[in-house]
Amino acid sequence: MLNSLPRIPLIRFWNNHQKSTMLNTTIGACIQFETMPCITTAAQTSPTVEEVRVDMAGMKVESKPVELVTSVGSCVAICLHDSTNKCGGLAHIMLPDSSIFPRENLPFKFADTAVPALAKAVRKISGKEAMLFAKIAGGANMFPNVRNDGLSVGEKNVEAVKTELANCKVKLLGEDVGGSYGRRISFNVNTGIATIRCYKGAVKRI
Amino acid sequence: MSQKDEQIKNKGMKKKGLCRFTCTNSDCVDVGILLELGSIGAGHAATSLSEILQQQVLIDVPKIHNFAVHELPKFYHKHDVPTTAIYMPLVEESECDILLMLEVEEANKIAAIMTMTPSPDELDTPMRQSAIEELANILVGSFLTAISDFTAVKLIPAPPQWIEDSFDAIIDNFLIKQAMISNRALVFDTNFRTMDGAANAILMIFPSPRLQELLIQKSKELCGITEPYEPEIIVPEDAEVNIVGNTNQTN
Repeated sequence: MLNSLPRIPLIRFWNNHQKSTMLNTTIGACIQFETMPCITTAAQTSPTVEEVRVDMAGMKVESKPVELVTSVGSCVAICLHDSTNKCGGLAHIMLPDSSIFPRENLPFKFADTAVPALAKAVRKISGKEAMLFAKIAGGANMFPNVRNDGLSVGEKNVEAVKTELANCKVKLLGEDVGGSYGRRISFNVNTGIATIRCYKGAVKRI
Repeated sequence: MSQKDEQIKNKGMKKKGLCRFTCTNSDCVDVGILLELGSIGAGHAATSLSEILQQQVLIDVPKIHNFAVHELPKFYHKHDVPTTAIYMPLVEESECDILLMLEVEEANKIAAIMTMTPSPDELDTPMRQSAIEELANILVGSFLTAISDFTAVKLIPAPPQWIEDSFDAIIDNFLIKQAMISNRALVFDTNFRTMDGAANAILMIFPSPRLQELLIQKSKELCGITEPYEPEIIVPEDAEVNIVGNTNQTN
């Protein structure tokens, strides 16, 4: 529902900055000032591919060639890809362990319940048993100056996801975790490539 | 008969009240008290913002939202909007997260006004950062002073922390913190606008359950309500004599 709403704030923002970024834009690649925020709209990245936003503690699986998009800070985005059947799914988890809230009916909020549920959902739409590959991103510590006892939540999340992936026998192909910045993940379910953009403008493909 | 009618009417009023606070689960009166305290603070904060900017400032009617934690980004619908945020936690016994959020462009405009620079592009990052930190210090400071003066609860903010990132990335850190305590979060939020629409700041407060209790208790003491308030009295149909007794007591 929300994804179908017009993205007015984003587009308006981009237009305001267009003049200043034009100077630094070359064909095919967008190089920006260090302070210039890297915000991408669907039109800017690849106009032919539809973008579907995954909400916090949510999950989407797709077999159509779309890009699943989500933004994470300390949360972790788990992308699962089935390369033989060209489908995949993305889950946005918040917390490492579901045992603190046993009554919560949101499997995609917690790392330990999200991974098996996501793998099951991907296998369900492909209809066949196939090897799944995973890519994860997120788990940042947004305020490194704030005193933390032991591991930050981001690190705990990443660890929990990795253990659970190993339990479910899903191979982890790539990761972009840690740091102290937010990430915008767009996961192409057809190719299995996850494009990660951080706020300062760096782009990474895993 | 008339007693019963009145009670039904009162129940209806209370339900309307609940809708106004956009709150469904919490006790209506408790939320009302928090909202009132917030409104007092927001008024003072708006005054100080107006003094800094030398402009007229409008504020939205403050709201308290009672969300399931994961629904908050969906509600604001600002997923990738670049945001400048200042995080000011309260320390010691009154634990609370306070966030002042502005869109980056608007933050830069305000920083330019504060430093008397003709255009926002001429400012370098450290200067912008310290100007916005100062803004948050003044705004949140006057907000807390007003509440603290009223309730005599000690509220001590830690130094402000500046961050520039996308809206979702900033907010999920705080949502995770809330999610570790409970699956619902009480969020106080108010919106400051200048007349020309240049600045549009969101002040977002996540009070910890302990601080909520403390503020509610102190306010009730001030108002003379020492006993816990019961908003809905369940009345058995055949016990009219008892109803009279009960209502007299509560009145």
